[in-house]
Amino acid sequence: MDQLPNLGREQEMLASMGLKSIDDLFSDIPEDVRRIDPLPLRGPQSEEEIWADAQHLLGANIDLDSRPSFLSAGLARNFVPTMVPMLATRGEFLTSYTPYQPEVSQGMLQAMWEFQTMVSELVGLPVSNVSMYDASTAAAEAITTAVRVKGRKATQKGVVYVSQFVPPHRLSVIENYTQGVGIELRTLEHNSDGMVNLEAASAAAGACAVYVEQPNAFGELDEGITQMKEIIGENTALIVGVDAVSLGIVEAPGNYGADIVVGEGQPFGIGPTAGGPIYGLFACKKDYLRLMPGRIVGKTLDEDGNDAFTLTLSTREQHIRRHRATSNICSNETLIALMGAMHMALLGPEGLEKLALRVAATTEVTKQAISGIPGVELVDPNTPNFREFAVKLPGNAADAVAHMDAAGVLGGFPMGEWWDSMSSCLLIGCDERTKQSDIDALVSALTAWVEEVSA
Amino acid sequence: MSEIFDFNGAKGSGWSQPEPMKKDAINTVPSSLRRSALPRWPRASEPELVRHYTWLSQRNFGIDTGFYPLGSCTMKHNPRINERIVQLPGIDRIHPLQPVHQIQGLLSIFYEMQEMLEICAGMDQVTLQPVAGAQGEFTAIRCIQEYHRQNGDIQRDKVIVPDSAHGTNPASAAMCGYEIVEIPSGDDGRLDLDALRAAVGEDTAAMMITNPSTLGIFEPDIAEAADIVHTAGGQMYYDGANFNAILGKTDPGRMGFDAVHYNLHKTFSQPHGGGGPGSGPIGVKSHLADFLPSPIADREETEEGGATGDGYRYFWRTPPNSIGKVQQWHGNSGAVVRAWAYYRRYGRELELMSEHAVLNANYLRHQIMNPNREHQNSIHSMPVDGAPTEVVKHEFTLSMMPLKETTGVTGKDIAKRLLDYGYMSPTLYFPMIVPECLMIEPTETESREVLDKFAEDFLTILSEDPEVIQTAPHTTDVRRVDEVLAARTLVLRKEFDD
Repeated sequence: MDQLPNLGREQEMLASMGLKSIDDLFSDIPEDVRRIDPLPLRGPQSEEEIWADAQHLLGANIDLDSRPSFLSAGLARNFVPTMVPMLATRGEFLTSYTPYQPEVSQGMLQAMWEFQTMVSELVGLPVSNVSMYDASTAAAEAITTAVRVKGRKATQKGVVYVSQFVPPHRLSVIENYTQGVGIELRTLEHNSDGMVNLEAASAAAGACAVYVEQPNAFGELDEGITQMKEIIGENTALIVGVDAVSLGIVEAPGNYGADIVVGEGQPFGIGPTAGGPIYGLFACKKDYLRLMPGRIVGKTLDEDGNDAFTLTLSTREQHIRRHRATSNICSNETLIALMGAMHMALLGPEGLEKLALRVAATTEVTKQAISGIPGVELVDPNTPNFREFAVKLPGNAADAVAHMDAAGVLGGFPMGEWWDSMSSCLLIGCDERTKQSDIDALVSALTAWVEEVSA
Repeated sequence: MSEIFDFNGAKGSGWSQPEPMKKDAINTVPSSLRRSALPRWPRASEPELVRHYTWLSQRNFGIDTGFYPLGSCTMKHNPRINERIVQLPGIDRIHPLQPVHQIQGLLSIFYEMQEMLEICAGMDQVTLQPVAGAQGEFTAIRCIQEYHRQNGDIQRDKVIVPDSAHGTNPASAAMCGYEIVEIPSGDDGRLDLDALRAAVGEDTAAMMITNPSTLGIFEPDIAEAADIVHTAGGQMYYDGANFNAILGKTDPGRMGFDAVHYNLHKTFSQPHGGGGPGSGPIGVKSHLADFLPSPIADREETEEGGATGDGYRYFWRTPPNSIGKVQQWHGNSGAVVRAWAYYRRYGRELELMSEHAVLNANYLRHQIMNPNREHQNSIHSMPVDGAPTEVVKHEFTLSMMPLKETTGVTGKDIAKRLLDYGYMSPTLYFPMIVPECLMIEPTETESREVLDKFAEDFLTILSEDPEVIQTAPHTTDVRRVDEVLAARTLVLRKEFDD
């Protein structure tokens, strides 16, 4: 057993303690709860055998890069620079714990402080933590944070308005995080063109918070959101969920009044990874700092007066405050945030802008191509899109996806899985890697299906 | 010291990208929504960044650097095959919403892991969705909450935790809206059954407890505690942070628990990465299974052999009364795959892992608490064992109170001095019931030589000039860091001059 350096030396170690057998070490477990029989599991494997099985099992999956793929729905089929995994998996980073001892953890602490700065710059807000689990938990804890901060002055006690188009899997997380702590979620309606209904938004003035997404779940950019803060007022927090890459060309929400910005960090740093580990972005105004969740790194001095970094404001956290903590989060997604920081730093400002423009370009080209298919209509023909757009099909979108799948194209996400009323709608996701030949394949596969159902 | 923002020499981006497919793509953004100024990110080339991050890594202590006896965190070696496997496109380049026939291999690994974890904990159904131990706690308490609601037991609004519990236990229960009842430990640090009897009632929703406790000792009365809570109508929740101590020797199911979380980043070697990712699957008994988050991996026999050739077709299943989701997707799949690779290394011999973890903890405790004559004569004061039991499980606690009383040297000073000797400090000042506490967990992947050397160095420190200890560390990248100043000045990002 290669993982156990003391295998075969048990007896001498036991003898030095005056013990006879390994069983003596477990004699404190009462017999009525002791397991006598061996675990009914398979036999051990060598590294070689594990690798072979991993190749076999994971090789049975069809990966996104192996075919034209238009499935996004909140995750990005990105390209992660080679440097990123190579450096992030250096053992000193990979095998460290949360930096409780700053004197021997300056590397990760500084990297996270730099991460906080880059996220802060990206979204236009002064404070960022070192990551949440994902976009959904970031949104959920942004809401509970806002209620803690705005609760007293709010005239609509405990009320939070959530955009009608927050997808159900994200909404479900929000509901689980808010249901027990006196928060009432109300729906913020959108107009028929997909944009937030600003008149309805005025009803949110006096609530604790409003949560909207920019772009929304259909990939639609909404100019109205820039007026939202003025409409809801100072006593109601504006929380904006973003596509992080879009911020290379779309205004930072902090510059149009957002109090808290959340989003999926995944496009920077790591592949879709079957949904995790990824990381959630969480940034806010200074008024939220003392009631926000998650680890925060501060810059300070050491005893000799040299610059140093350390975790700070831990009095918010569970290991100090226990049930009065702002959140139960402790382990977060630091290593993935580190990968994100590396990716962001490598891009730089101009690289970010270019990345965003690449996504905008493929989105636009794909949108034009798809809307030219007879029988296929854009759900919202006049709205600008980033990364994703929704089309209405002459039939069930899940059938269309299955049909295209048989033709070797991953054609998008059937929106009926989110909302029953949208079973004929297909959400098509593009990214910086979408090629003209991918778009041609999608058009051809979708056209073939449309012709078949229309025949 | 150099910061990443010092790199600002290069023109343009430090990374090459193809040109956009279309020239005027900026026109897709309405002018009122266009970004006014780009973020002030560094402008750095790949060679500069590789050197920057290599330098940062060299200023960071990991298991790979040295002994990491951080109690309660199970800092065992992270096998490198795990990292190689998760680079495969069959996990890295997978979208969780792909049609199930495209991800049969992933589902089969999920299924195998669910089944294995069920067996190891004596539970009936596992979900791999929670992405951290704390989220596992939260998820399980949510399931228990819905269970009570379905039974009409809405008056159950309290969750009981011992005062030695991890801080996440009360924090997670409070996030579900529960009131926390903290019960004091007995004088021996163990669960006090009388205190528990006095605390339970018709308002008890659940009790959350870890066993072995945070003192590293097994609670012998655990089955009786479960009876007390169950008789009152409450549910028993097992905090699996200390699972590394008992795997294969007993399980929470036998002890009477209804729900449990596992830390794949502790017991199953997912590297902790300086603060995550973790993975915190939960397992429950059948009466709670209908409430688990969706989806769960399931399978049915197929005559076509199945995509993985094992005769099964795998699919996602939503439990009938599911609480929904706690993470947007299926959890930290990458961590699950690493844990799967780790499990495959041991298979049915997993109990060897626990045996050696407990062997090492007891051995190290013995080496420290039984100093040779030379040390005996020079040590200022011996620590007091936090739990005066014959054996401990995977970890043990030492109170440095006598040393503080005789010399003024605190537990924190010892922790900092250990850094000078090339060790990570043990967990400090936890559990709170042990004054000046150091909590030490060596794990099974340390050799006897490392344990001997650590004990020797630890005892040497106890006889050092108090002044040297109190001003430690002396040899680290920075000297003792001013945490008070950090909290007062709150410099949380780089401020630019322009």
